[in-house]
Amino acid sequence: MSEGAVRTRPALPITFVALVAFVAFALVALGALTGAARAEGQAPEAGIWRVSSRGRLTIDGGLVLGQPAALGTGLSTGVGAGASYGRSLALGVRAAWSTATESSLAWQVTQADFKLRATGTVQRAVGRGRFALRLGAGPTIVHETRLRNQGMRAGLTGADLETSATTTLAAGELEGVVAIHIAGPWLLTVSGGPTLTIIDGAAHAGWTALIGTGWQP
Amino acid sequence: MAAVTRGGGAALGVVALAALAGCGDLQGFGGPTPPLVTFNVVVNGDLPPGASVTSLQVALVWGAQWQTEPFCILPPEVGTNAATVIAQGCRKPFSFVPTLVAANIPVEIGVPTTLSLYSLPSADVMVGDVTSRIAYGSLVVYDDRDGTGTLDLASPHRTPRGGRGADEETDTQDSPDVVYGASFVTMIAPDQRVSFLEGPYTPSAFYPRAGCDAPMAKFRVLSAGGFIDDDPLMVAMQGQLPMEDPALCDDQPPDAATISITLEAPAQELQEVSCVEPRNDSSVRYREPPTSTPDFTGRQTACTHLPTFEAGDQPNLIQLVVTGRTQDRCVGLTHYTLRGCRENVACPVPDWDLTNDPPAWWTCLPN
Repeated sequence: MSEGAVRTRPALPITFVALVAFVAFALVALGALTGAARAEGQAPEAGIWRVSSRGRLTIDGGLVLGQPAALGTGLSTGVGAGASYGRSLALGVRAAWSTATESSLAWQVTQADFKLRATGTVQRAVGRGRFALRLGAGPTIVHETRLRNQGMRAGLTGADLETSATTTLAAGELEGVVAIHIAGPWLLTVSGGPTLTIIDGAAHAGWTALIGTGWQP
Repeated sequence: MAAVTRGGGAALGVVALAALAGCGDLQGFGGPTPPLVTFNVVVNGDLPPGASVTSLQVALVWGAQWQTEPFCILPPEVGTNAATVIAQGCRKPFSFVPTLVAANIPVEIGVPTTLSLYSLPSADVMVGDVTSRIAYGSLVVYDDRDGTGTLDLASPHRTPRGGRGADEETDTQDSPDVVYGASFVTMIAPDQRVSFLEGPYTPSAFYPRAGCDAPMAKFRVLSAGGFIDDDPLMVAMQGQLPMEDPALCDDQPPDAATISITLEAPAQELQEVSCVEPRNDSSVRYREPPTSTPDFTGRQTACTHLPTFEAGDQPNLIQLVVTGRTQDRCVGLTHYTLRGCRENVACPVPDWDLTNDPPAWWTCLPN
C-alpha cells in the first residue's frame, strides 16, 4: 500500500531563510537606529498618541504562525502570549498554542503544539519603537491526533479509526522583535525567527512568527 | 528580579525534563496503516488435471452494471446462423461482469488467508446516488502467468472496421492469466459476494437479490443460492426481479465470514469473470465494413435483419454479426452494416453508405 506523496520539509525553507534575514535586519536596525536616536532625540508627543510607556514590564500576545514542531509539513496557527521584565536585558516567560492539520492518502494528522519558554531578551528603545533579539528555550508539548481517511465510511472504530499521542520535545528559538508604541502603553508587536526542536535526538529546524499587541505601563 | 531568576530556573528544569522525554508515540504520517476491511478467504478443491500454476492468487474484483445487447436475447432469426453466433459470441446475461481489480494476494490451496482493502470502492463502481449506493465484488482465483501481480482484465477482440481512422484502431492481446475459480460467477448459481453499501439499500437490477433481506451497511459478505425461477430472463423482461431462495440467503460481517472458493476447470463462462465489457447499457456500436476481407478464422458469422426498434425506416438493411475467436478469453460480437452511423444505425445522414457499392467480400444481401 502506497502511503502517497507527503510533502517533506526542505533543508532550508524559504520562510526559514526569510526569518533569519528578519533577525539580521533587526540586529542591524538595533545598532543603526540606536545611533540615530542618540543624535536626534525623542520627538515630542501629544494627546492620545503620546507615549507613556516607561516601565520595565512588557506583556504581549497575538496570533502565532509557524512550522509544526514535529509534523514535517504544514502551517501551524494559533495564539501566543508572554511577559518580560527588564530594560536592555530582560527576562521573561512565554506560552503559545497552535495546531496544524495535514493529510496523506491514509491519514489526516492534527498536531497541537503547546510551547512553554523561558526567554532572555536584548533590546533597545528607539523613538516610538523598540528592537530586540529574544532567545527562548523550553519544552514543546505536542498532542497528535490521527484519523484514518475513509475509516468512518468503512465502519472502522477504536484505534483502527483514530489514534492519539502526546510527547514533550526540547525546543528553542531566536526571534527578532519589533515593538512600536501606538498610544499610551499600547504597542504593536511583530516577531519571528528560526526554531530548533530536538526529535529523537536529532535537531530539526523550523520557524515561528507572531503579530499582536503589547502593553507596557 | 529574584522572582524572575527563580522562574527562569524552573523553566530550565522543564527544558531538561523535556529533553529527557524525547519523542514518544508521535507517528505523523508514518507507522502501519490499518486496512479498511479484511476478508477471510480459503481456496478449496484441486486444480484441473495437467494444470501447472505459476502463481496462484486471489483478486477482489468490483462488478459493473451491465445489460446484454438485444441480439443476444431476442429469438434467433430463422433460416440464419444466428443461433450459432449467439451461442459462441454472447455472454450469459446473468454473469458477473468486472470493472475494477481492487486487491490481489497470493494464496495456497486449502490454507485460509486474508485479503485486506486499503481504499473504499470508488463512486464509479457503486450503483445508486450518494444517499444510497452499493458495490458488489467477486473474489477470483487465478494463475498470474504474466507475473504482473494483478489479475489483468481482458476484453473481446472485434474484427476490424473500415472508413476514416480505421488504421488507428489497435487490438490488445489477452494476458495469459487463467481463472480457476470465483466466489461470484453468475446470478443463476450459488454465490458469495462482497458488498459495500452506503445509506439505506434501494432494490435495483444491479446483481439483484430479490427474496433476500436487504444487505446491511458498510462491508458485508453476502451469500445467495442463485435465481430459482425457471426462466429468469423472461422474468427480467417482464420488468420483475428474479427471485432467490430466502433460506439460502446470508449476510455476515467480514470478520465473521469465510469466503470459500472452489477450483474449477477454466471454462469459458468462468474466464469471463475477468472480461470487461466496452459498453454496459446494451447499446450496439455498428461498424463500417472494411474494404479488405476480415480474418474470420475461428469465428462464426450470421447475416440477419436488424431489430425492428433499431432499423428505423430501413427494414431491409442486413447486418453481418461476427463472433470472437474460439481461443479468445472473452466472447463478443462485431456488427457490420452497409449503411449507418456508429451510434445509430438508423441515422438520417449516414457516416457511411455502401449499399450501392458493397465490399467484394460482403455476402449479406437483402432478401
